[in-house]
Amino acid sequence: MEFKSKKLDNDLVIIGEINKSAKSAAVGFFVKTGSRDETEQINGVSHFLEHMLFKGTDKLSPLEVNEAFDRTGAQFNAFTSEENTVYYAAVLPEYLIEVTELWTQLMRPALRDEDFNIEKNVIKEEIAMYKDLPSFDVMDRCRNLHFDGHPCGNSVLGSEESIDNLTAELMRNYFARRYAPNNIVLACAGNFDWDKICSIAANSCNAWQHQTVGRKLDYSEGSRKKERVEKPNLVREHICLMSASVSAQDPRRFAASLLGMIIGDDVGSRFFWELVDKALAEAASLQFGAMDGTGAFCSYIRCSSENVNKVLDIVRNIFDDLDKSGIAEDELTKAKNKVLSALVIKNELPMGRLVDLGFNWTYLQQYHTIEDDVNAIKAVTVDDVHLLIKQFRPGDFTQLSLGPVRNR
Amino acid sequence: MAEHFDVYILNNGMVLLGEPMEAVESVAFGFMLPAGAALLPDGCCGASNVIADWIFRGAGDKDSRQLSDAIDGLGLVRGRSVGGSHISIGAALESGNLAKALDLYADIILRPSLMEDQFELARQLAIDDLLSLDDDPRQKVMLKLREQFYPSPLGRNTLGDINELKALTAYVSGQIIKDKFNLSQTIFSVAGKYNFEDVCKQLEGLFESEQHGNDESMNLGQRQGKYTHINNDGAQVHIGMMTGTVKPTDEDYYNARVAISVLSGGMSARLFTEVREKRGLCYAIGARYHGLKEAAGVMCYAGTTPGKAQETLDCIVGEFNRLGEGISAEEIDRAKVGLKSSLILQSESSSSRAGAIGSDHYILGRIRSLDEIKDKIEETSVDSVLEFLRAHPFEEFTIVTIGPKQVNVE
Repeated sequence: MEFKSKKLDNDLVIIGEINKSAKSAAVGFFVKTGSRDETEQINGVSHFLEHMLFKGTDKLSPLEVNEAFDRTGAQFNAFTSEENTVYYAAVLPEYLIEVTELWTQLMRPALRDEDFNIEKNVIKEEIAMYKDLPSFDVMDRCRNLHFDGHPCGNSVLGSEESIDNLTAELMRNYFARRYAPNNIVLACAGNFDWDKICSIAANSCNAWQHQTVGRKLDYSEGSRKKERVEKPNLVREHICLMSASVSAQDPRRFAASLLGMIIGDDVGSRFFWELVDKALAEAASLQFGAMDGTGAFCSYIRCSSENVNKVLDIVRNIFDDLDKSGIAEDELTKAKNKVLSALVIKNELPMGRLVDLGFNWTYLQQYHTIEDDVNAIKAVTVDDVHLLIKQFRPGDFTQLSLGPVRNR
Repeated sequence: MAEHFDVYILNNGMVLLGEPMEAVESVAFGFMLPAGAALLPDGCCGASNVIADWIFRGAGDKDSRQLSDAIDGLGLVRGRSVGGSHISIGAALESGNLAKALDLYADIILRPSLMEDQFELARQLAIDDLLSLDDDPRQKVMLKLREQFYPSPLGRNTLGDINELKALTAYVSGQIIKDKFNLSQTIFSVAGKYNFEDVCKQLEGLFESEQHGNDESMNLGQRQGKYTHINNDGAQVHIGMMTGTVKPTDEDYYNARVAISVLSGGMSARLFTEVREKRGLCYAIGARYHGLKEAAGVMCYAGTTPGKAQETLDCIVGEFNRLGEGISAEEIDRAKVGLKSSLILQSESSSSRAGAIGSDHYILGRIRSLDEIKDKIEETSVDSVLEFLRAHPFEEFTIVTIGPKQVNVE
């Protein structure tokens, strides 16, 4: 593996990790923008804009874009979160240049009114689709309740109303502010020719204008509010818990992800033994989510209406016990083994590697080898995890439940 | 470099397959146990799901907790699934721990503790999983669709039937394990970094003396109804539709795959272009090949708000019908390159290769090399695909909808 990096005059950063033995290559544009960078008036614009990038440029129609990608056999797509919008493709090495060239063009989209108006329907269908997925809906609502006014609580999709009110003009303004070269990283992983990637970027991206781009980076403790929302067509109780944690820049993020594994991995965790193994809940998991300047532990639990109180009592006991007695050495060892295997397996694929590479640069402006991350995970001690529990008190959570109408 | 596959058959008939991969440090393995939903005795629908949980609740000299700790101690990324034909269990891991992991999995398959109290918990979880399906209409519509499309029992709901799960006992489930964990029909596959000689020697020692054997024949029943609607006051109408096509063993298999790719391979394919890009009817729209050993179909899903459901269905059916009328050379080229490249991209993952060689062996009785598949895709043409569509048109649909509004299927 060989790492390369370069910065263009307009501050667009290009990074690459070359692995000549890989059968494929992956490329991605990591744009540091998402729903937390939106105001209420334009809520949903980052995600809607992600869709609009596929609608082409002054020279390419939407169909021509899709055809150009499909001619290379690329597995390509994009995703938007609270703070990142990522455009990526995994492809056979011989097509990487073509695909990268296409992406560089699409990063300066036409944003035509007519495409905007058709795509608005698709966005509203996507909002409707997630309404029918309570496991997603409950997280979205809980995030909003937890961050309680902090921009990290903004919905990624936006609401039907905010999308209805959004105009192509507002989107164009947002694009001009956020898609500046100094707010974007171009990353490549796998089997590819570094010099060629750099020359494409130099040709296509040099004219992009540097801008002053900001983001509010306040830390959030979370509201710790508790709410329940009823939906008559539901049959199960969906519960989301959120509490504060360390940020993506914090060295303690490795300890935080191990703590998440100990409390709430799908199997073998405390949630698993107390809730799932005993058949009190059919799903119970907790994950650490690192964000820019802040972070959160987020749990999802699903159970029957009859079991809700029992389940919540047990959850409280799990967190109390964690607070009082901490974790055991062998629990940490098991968590490390699981995290390490998953990390190594994921990074064997250029597409998996691309994601870690791009986000490490986005948050830290640093290159980390897989070995760096492996060593950082191995170095976490029981005391590190205990300090984290003491400081963040994961049992002090915001709670949102979504379930059927209760008989009163 | 030419691909190489390892094959070894134990005296009891159990098949061991391997594919070495030079570029990886990991290894993935899987056991395909012939106890899938379609192979269950009548009245036990859902038992596979219960069994796949129960056998992990203690095995050999370890109780449930000790077994789980041992698996986690080796850092296994576990995989478990229940299909129509098999219960598949396996994992991906760092290659140095493979031998220890195989010892544990031999205990799980041959010597599960099968305690009665643990059975009740496994059964309750299976019931809860099935009930949860009502809160996931998208998954539910596809399971219901398979049930309606395939001749019984091929499409049996892998999550089970609520009444049959409630009536299921530990005794009956134990009996199913005894009858169905048939080593002569079990396939083991491994891919990544491993030594095949060592693996064979170890598995021979662990499994050879066990002689479970049974007849796996099944009688196929009728297809169910043409259209089923399930009322649900949700935001969207979830549409699942399926039409029959050739099986993976058919000489026209690759023509079928290319035809379906023209319809729904990439974002320039017809369904995405017509339904989403031009009309904005859906966010999620797609069709894919779904093949069993005994039957196969094209499976299509679309989710849309109630006011657009009819137009969406009509538009999709129109595209299926229109396919046989003509396909351009560019469309065929894009379909082919898409199929070939996804094949190669998947071949970098040890888990996906272990799964692929196991399923090839089960369905075809042999492993296809990537080169063979690429050549077969390459051999298809506009003419061969259109000829295939004339002989096997996509006409008769089984349709299931879940949502606040029915559609008219005439």
